[in-house]
Amino acid sequence: MMGAVVVAVIVDGPLTRQTIAQAVSLRVDGLNRVLESGTVGSTLRFEGIVRRAEPDPNEGGAARDLRALDYQTYDPMAERELERLADRVCEQFGLRSIMALHSRGRVDVGEASFVLEIASTHRAEGLLAMTAFIDRLKQDVPIWKHAVWA
Amino acid sequence: MNRTLPVMRVEVLVFGPVRAAIQRDRVTVDVVATEHGVCTAGEVLKALQEQHPALRSTIGSIERARLAVNQRYADGDAAIRAGDEVALIAMVGGG
Repeated sequence: MMGAVVVAVIVDGPLTRQTIAQAVSLRVDGLNRVLESGTVGSTLRFEGIVRRAEPDPNEGGAARDLRALDYQTYDPMAERELERLADRVCEQFGLRSIMALHSRGRVDVGEASFVLEIASTHRAEGLLAMTAFIDRLKQDVPIWKHAVWA
Repeated sequence: MNRTLPVMRVEVLVFGPVRAAIQRDRVTVDVVATEHGVCTAGEVLKALQEQHPALRSTIGSIERARLAVNQRYADGDAAIRAGDEVALIAMVGGG
């Protein structure tokens, strides 16, 4: 069986169909080969989208309307840690492929700043991997978000 | 004969809420080094706690934070030498 494929990229700006395609253009053949291999029984896609309101710590946590989130990254460590996390989760849960993309810079309300796609043989490991990845991303990958208030 | 250990001045990059709170992208701490000019990540964290009250009020206990040395997470006993890039990784919030 072909080895698992891991793709992890930090992308400038929001994650749109176009920016995603550009970011993974050199790796898309490998991802597609996995999907066509006959070993994938489950694919999952998560999109993290900037919501309209966030709690403002300067207002006691009261919800306040956003214009955007601005993502600061410690480069190049952020992409390296995103890839290391993807490698670890892929191995821990026996995935067939994992693609993790995260934005750098400004992402407006309604736009996606994080996309995670997982291909696995069965749904069980894919669902567990997805939750584990997101939890660990929020602890381990040096990315910070700064609110741009409306 | 008294031998005074050298003091290293270590520059620490800061990000996110810490950077926003102190309005700077780096802080410096003075740490007693070995005679070979080496200190540890744990010593730098302790120095940050002691020498920068503004960081304490933003992060809380700096012991909960981590340092990266040359862009790799460092345990408390990791060595830091002159010229190493040191960053405080705290309150991350991606995803």
